[in-house]
Amino acid sequence: MIENTKENIKVLIADDEIEFSSTLQTRLNLRKFQTVMANSGEETLRAVEEEEPDVLLLDLKMPDLDGLEVLARLKEEHADIKVIILTGHGSFEVGREGMELGAFDYIMKPVDLTILIAKIEEAYASR
Amino acid sequence: MNKKTNITDKILPSSLKISIEHGFNRRSYGQFRMILFFIMLTITAVPVMTIAMLGYSNYKSLLQKDEHIQLKWQLDGSVRAIEQMVDSLKSVVQFAARRDRYAELTTGNNLRQLFERLHRQYPFFADLGVIDQQGVQQAYYGPYDLQDTDYSGESWFKAVYDQGLHISRVYRGYRLVPHFAIAVSNIDPETRQKWVLRATIDAETLQRFVNTIKTNASDDLFLIDDESVLQTRSDYFGTTLSKFSEEVEMGIWEDISPQGETILHGIGNIRATPWSLVILKKGYMNQSDWLSFRSRLFLIVFACMAVSVVVIYSLVTLITSLIRKADEIQMGMMQEAEHTDKLASIGRLASGVAHEINNPLAIINQKTGLIDDLLHISSDFDQKETVLLSLKSIDASVERCKAITHRLLGFARRTEVLFAHFSVNEIIKEVLQFLENSMLYNRIKLDLQLQNEIPQIFSDHIQLQQIFLNIINNAIDAIGKDGTITIISNLIAGEVRIVIQDDGVGIPEEVLPHIFEPFFTTKETGKGTGLGLSITYGLIKKLGGDITVRSNVGKGTAFTITLPINCEQK
Repeated sequence: MIENTKENIKVLIADDEIEFSSTLQTRLNLRKFQTVMANSGEETLRAVEEEEPDVLLLDLKMPDLDGLEVLARLKEEHADIKVIILTGHGSFEVGREGMELGAFDYIMKPVDLTILIAKIEEAYASR
Repeated sequence: MNKKTNITDKILPSSLKISIEHGFNRRSYGQFRMILFFIMLTITAVPVMTIAMLGYSNYKSLLQKDEHIQLKWQLDGSVRAIEQMVDSLKSVVQFAARRDRYAELTTGNNLRQLFERLHRQYPFFADLGVIDQQGVQQAYYGPYDLQDTDYSGESWFKAVYDQGLHISRVYRGYRLVPHFAIAVSNIDPETRQKWVLRATIDAETLQRFVNTIKTNASDDLFLIDDESVLQTRSDYFGTTLSKFSEEVEMGIWEDISPQGETILHGIGNIRATPWSLVILKKGYMNQSDWLSFRSRLFLIVFACMAVSVVVIYSLVTLITSLIRKADEIQMGMMQEAEHTDKLASIGRLASGVAHEINNPLAIINQKTGLIDDLLHISSDFDQKETVLLSLKSIDASVERCKAITHRLLGFARRTEVLFAHFSVNEIIKEVLQFLENSMLYNRIKLDLQLQNEIPQIFSDHIQLQQIFLNIINNAIDAIGKDGTITIISNLIAGEVRIVIQDDGVGIPEEVLPHIFEPFFTTKETGKGTGLGLSITYGLIKKLGGDITVRSNVGKGTAFTITLPINCEQK
């Protein structure tokens, strides 16, 4: 694996909790990741079109579109994008449903950044 | 419909209603039993009593009627017999007083000879007298000197003068011996004068005759005259010439004796005499037919009732105990359902709360992470170490919260079950591998009594691991250091039973009912979430099993887990 992988990884953080997503963005930026933010489901789909991220950190509970719906739509057109479900609202069933819809993994908030980064890199590597 | 329910509600005592209607208040089984007993007894007793009473009164009136008829027959027969006797006496006297014999009888020894002839045939004749038209006794033969006595003023003389025949009442007369007289009048064809032949007869004759017709069918039989004076002896009213009664009514009638007995009277007039025949008979009440019928009836009714009481009592006891059992089962099921419901709703609430807390927790987590990141790239300042320590402490607290919320979600997650066939003993051994170190460290011995013949069960591997892990962990905590954990598995009634037993501190009795409730913990703050056993309970129920606990403070605790071999997911 190449040393400067992080700079090549573009992460889209989809979460309606701006306090959470912005802080996570700053911290990932500090670790040299490329990051994009989306605050709703629609915004997420748009950002995927425009920014073509490598990894999507997807919250399940968003005001307009449910995370699982976003996942379902992405599966049709952007099957190559790696999705990590990152949510506080999940349950085991929802997680499993997400996995069936093609999500790479399922992580429950709050999550240790080291673990999260490991997962992101793992997802990126599995492309 | 509603109204009807209300009426029955008012009538029925609470003990007869369904137990749910009055909540968990226990019905009064004593009252229930009494009511049931009396209702059944009434239903049984009423027909028996009614039939017994009908039989009693019908038989009584039948006997009464029969007895009246029999007495009437007896009376008629006896009256006829006495009338025949009187007729024959009358004929004798009439024969002796042939009309043309006046002159013959008033002269010489002729009257004496007639008397002696009569006396030979009929020894009861006491004397004979011939009286002329003026009432003067012209001839007399007998033990007294009654020659020339004037009877013209006597009522009997007038009666015989007018009617040709007179039979007197019994009287004492000059001889002071009870007797009666038969007088016959005739017209002498020569003188065209009336004359009277009068014969006196001892009352004893009457008595003897009455004795011959007296049978066992009557209790007393005697003659009275038209003034109610006894003409023969009575067993009840004294000797001849005693007074019988003030009023005499002809026919058959009943009276109550001074002793309280019913006495039947049959009284019939005897033709051409001043006499009436009286027959007394004790009422049917005192007859053996009636007495034996009555005692048999009472015996049958009493036996029926005694048998009914015994049978009803045992039936009612049986029914009451069955209902009590049914109530207890129902009550137990309701309590169980309530308990499960309570645990489920607490579980739902807990997972809702956990979800909501996860997001702010994630923000705190990210913010402290960011501060930490920034501190590491910024230059040193005065209190930098203190700030870093504080951040660590915040992180630790967030970890604690995370542990709680994640476990809560695990608790809510128990709908997720993956089924496969495997051996329970293997799972127990797997779990023990995890705990080996901790047991070794605490010097806890293990006593494994796993039965090999247990069939594989169809259940959820991961969930079962968690169940055994939780309970064995609890056992280790309960022992602390130095002790034994015994694990027994066996097959009982088609189910797998696993007993996990420790010789630790035990659970106090007041704590025992709460141990399966979420957030209930006796461990120090921060050491336990109070979710372990509630999750375990939820999982076992999910797998169609059951868990029970027995504990003695200071002696230890035993959890018994029962699992079906083929678990139907609930």
